[in-house]
Amino acid sequence: MNRDVQEVDFSFVLASSVHDMKNSLGMLLNTLAEVMVQYPPQNNDHAKSYAVLEYEAARINSELIQLLSLYRLDHDQVRAHIEECMVIDVLSEQIARNHGLLQTRQLELVLQCDESLTGYFDSDLVGGVINNILVNCARYSKNKLFLSAQQTAEGLCITLEDDGPGYPEDMLNASTFAETRANFASGRPHLGLMFANKVALMHRNKAQQGFIRLTNQSALGGGCFSLYLP
Amino acid sequence: MAENPYAKLQALIVDDFESFRITLSKMLQEFGIGTVDSVASSNDALRYCSSKVYDVILCDQNLGKGKTGQQILEVLRHKPTLNSDSLFVLVSAESNKSIIMAAYDYEPDAYLTKPITGQTLGQRLERLFKQRMTLAPIYKALKDKDVESAIHLCEAEIAAGNRYTGSCQKMLGRMLLQVGDLEKAEALYRNILDVRQLDWAMLGMAQTKKMQGDALSAQQWLEEIIQFNPLNLKAYDVLASIMAERGDYQGQQKVLQKAVDISPLSILRQQELGNVSFKNNDLLGAANAYRKAVKIGENSCHDNIKFHESFAHAGIQLAKLDKNLAAPILRDALKVIGEIPLRFGKTNSVKMNALLLESQLCVASGEERRAEEVLVSAQKIIDADASAVTLDTRIELVRALRELGNKAESDKIIADLLSEYEGDEDQLQKLDCLLDEPCSAKNKALVAQINKDGISFYEAKDFGRAVNCFTSALQDFPQHIGLRLNLVQALMGSFKQEPEKAPLLTAMQQTMDYIRKIIPDNHAQFKRFRQLEELLRGIVASAKTTN
Repeated sequence: MNRDVQEVDFSFVLASSVHDMKNSLGMLLNTLAEVMVQYPPQNNDHAKSYAVLEYEAARINSELIQLLSLYRLDHDQVRAHIEECMVIDVLSEQIARNHGLLQTRQLELVLQCDESLTGYFDSDLVGGVINNILVNCARYSKNKLFLSAQQTAEGLCITLEDDGPGYPEDMLNASTFAETRANFASGRPHLGLMFANKVALMHRNKAQQGFIRLTNQSALGGGCFSLYLP
Repeated sequence: MAENPYAKLQALIVDDFESFRITLSKMLQEFGIGTVDSVASSNDALRYCSSKVYDVILCDQNLGKGKTGQQILEVLRHKPTLNSDSLFVLVSAESNKSIIMAAYDYEPDAYLTKPITGQTLGQRLERLFKQRMTLAPIYKALKDKDVESAIHLCEAEIAAGNRYTGSCQKMLGRMLLQVGDLEKAEALYRNILDVRQLDWAMLGMAQTKKMQGDALSAQQWLEEIIQFNPLNLKAYDVLASIMAERGDYQGQQKVLQKAVDISPLSILRQQELGNVSFKNNDLLGAANAYRKAVKIGENSCHDNIKFHESFAHAGIQLAKLDKNLAAPILRDALKVIGEIPLRFGKTNSVKMNALLLESQLCVASGEERRAEEVLVSAQKIIDADASAVTLDTRIELVRALRELGNKAESDKIIADLLSEYEGDEDQLQKLDCLLDEPCSAKNKALVAQINKDGISFYEAKDFGRAVNCFTSALQDFPQHIGLRLNLVQALMGSFKQEPEKAPLLTAMQQTMDYIRKIIPDNHAQFKRFRQLEELLRGIVASAKTTN
């Protein structure tokens, strides 16, 4: 018997169990939401505990989704399925997905997007990117988030701004987010941005290619993440 | 407060996990849907759907046992009974939908990834109901088969330029192709493609080009789509059909094989791959494809007894060429054939055919005694119920008798059949698979044409195409000795050009072995057969010395 055949592809095993974990976590999140409806918080401490539970669960969830997506991107299992999409649908879907999180953290999210704005992109992949960034911002933001989209010369631009402390210097300076190994070593892999960057790059039209941009020039005073899709 | 617009709606939830069902059901009720049913299995889902009309069905993809969510959709769309208009929402834990979608021919109305929150579900349903309402006149026209009106309505909707433009363009393109308005279809797709290379528009353009008779342009479009998105399996299907129309069965098999490698779960594609592999005399490939088709068929409405029988035939034929290769397939085929009465009904005609195939499988696996016994049981049913005996059964009987070497009996049945169906072209065509020279006018002409084409390739020293030409005819006329001898000669020519290709040598030997088994001493081409045997011996000897 060939020994190679018996060797297990560890990354595959990992991906499969991540898949299972994600399902269990989905159940956990749903149950948590029910518990919160049945037993509304009695005081501030309760509310805080709920918020932590929900936020951390949501974070694990989006982290797992990212891991799976990155695994697939790496194994060439994902292709951008580019179609004309209503931008407002994709954005409101991500807001709805994080409805509970925003509520418990008492964050006000303002969405500014023309009802008729369309774009050409993979709604699942881009939705995943927005979700990750949203969950991340919900952690650092004080009380306001601003999600907007508009057509620019460089393509459709989706921007998420917050009123938190802004992105740290090293992240602003990273020109690309592809250097996983170096970042892993420093203990800060920025998986979410790496994923966002990969998804952006998968979108191209004629000579243009998608990209992401991080600045601290937010009207709200915090960080500003932009995703450009040609 | 506004009146709940969804109070009269009915929804069905299909999920094997109780907690999911409860959660989803709560969400739907909060959204305002009046009646919510939920079931745990695909069987129950189909049972509920056959007695009640649902406005929306929320169905999990992975249901544990039985059909998958996609296979339930396949049944609902394939048999337009009660729930052909329901909104079908596929729910899955898989976040990459293209992988799941690639496998099937029917698209759900929406696709939701777990975990689902009440907000996302509500939002999505609201959008779906709104779209359904806005486009209702188009759907109605289509349902009434009034395509002309549907086209006008679609055009009006596109001109109005709202959020449904994209869906309407897709629908319009399909309708224009359906009524054959190729000029308009081309203009539509070209306008879209000028702005953006969208793969559905590229596919539409390819189909337009194909229908215009411009196979070359169609092929270019399709190859571009596949390069752009290798998961677009429809592109492979259209490409394969172009190759089939051109008579390039090797090419067709290759394209289908690629599509099947990407997504092995499409039963129709596996069935077709089996057929074309068989035609190309790639019996192992055929057996593998048929086996998968049989396996998937367990939960599919596209299952068909034909492919179970073809699986057995591929195994029986393969055993004539390579016993070792055939052994595991024969074992499997015996099982598949044994299960036929359970799966397709215990009528006499089903039972006879299954036994006749079983007998042939036994001979192929070297169990002649058992084969005799099985044939006797088949014969008993045939004698007892003459009314259930069809032409197909008698053809199978001839094959079974031949496998056991009972030439006198099989020749007698053939003679009976020939006189019985004299002048009946359709039935005679079916009989041709048993004969050396075809008896029907159509097949006579077909064989003549194949020989003519093959010989002209041979004379032009294009041996590869000559081989393909003769090979593709052999499955339809397996007893045709002239075709097989021509094949051997074409293979010899090919081998002379490329002596390093060992499979050609094997193919020659296998073909000669086959002829040796069926050629009678008094056959008109017996002398030619002897000469070719002599030649082959020389080739084998010199191949050995060079090695």
